Amino acid sequence: MPRAVFVKWPLGHPLGEPQAPLQQRTVIFRALLRLVQAEEAGIIEELGYRWRRELYSEPEWPLLNRE
Amino acid sequence: MSEHKTWLEKLANRFYAIPTVAQLWARRVAREGVQDGDAEAAIPFVRLRGPLHRARGALITTGGVHLRAQQPFDMLSASGDPTYREIPADTPAEQLTITHKYYDHRDADADLNVIFPLAHLRSLVEQGVVGALAPRHFGFMGHVDGEQVATLTGQTAREVAAKLRQDGVDFVLLTPA
Repeated sequence: MPRAVFVKWPLGHPLGEPQAPLQQRTVIFRALLRLVQAEEAGIIEELGYRWRRELYSEPEWPLLNRE
Repeated sequence: MSEHKTWLEKLANRFYAIPTVAQLWARRVAREGVQDGDAEAAIPFVRLRGPLHRARGALITTGGVHLRAQQPFDMLSASGDPTYREIPADTPAEQLTITHKYYDHRDADADLNVIFPLAHLRSLVEQGVVGALAPRHFGFMGHVDGEQVATLTGQTAREVAAKLRQDGVDFVLLTPA
């Protein structure tokens, strides 16, 4: 895989829990951040979010398009 | 012999599921592929061309997502189903379903964004974070084994790659299950 983010969550929940848009959007944000920042192949970033024990807020999306 | 191999494969799968082990493996493959000049063995890598707000993205999931109107994935084959389903970008969530008996998808059934975040990507395009979405996205069924692996890597995955190129896709978000 060119680059990846990893969450230690139950199988079938790559973006988290149902009806948890901030959690889901946070994982998408971190994956896209990895996309725009990766400098080499084979990077697997462990995000470290605990299952059902985190509070999420809206990601800072402008960081993805910073010049 | 085959049972022994299966047991070993299961152990190896568990081992490689540890993120640091997977990271070591990925780095080694990336490095050796480059050293050997073997493009097939190397992990393909390109930087995103241009800013994300001008990029076109697509979704691929191995979570068994497909249109209700499409033929479901084959759940009877022990080696899985290496085929894929095209999902038009404007498909409403209620027209999608999941056929995949190898993981618990009750949460994904309740909210497809758990596995197939098309709605979130649409809103990122509206926000101007991502440039555009591809006209079609792709659903695979993640349980592919035995002789079906060759069909996946030699045929269906290549077909999807060609379609992504045809659609001018700059990046793909892959969600596993």
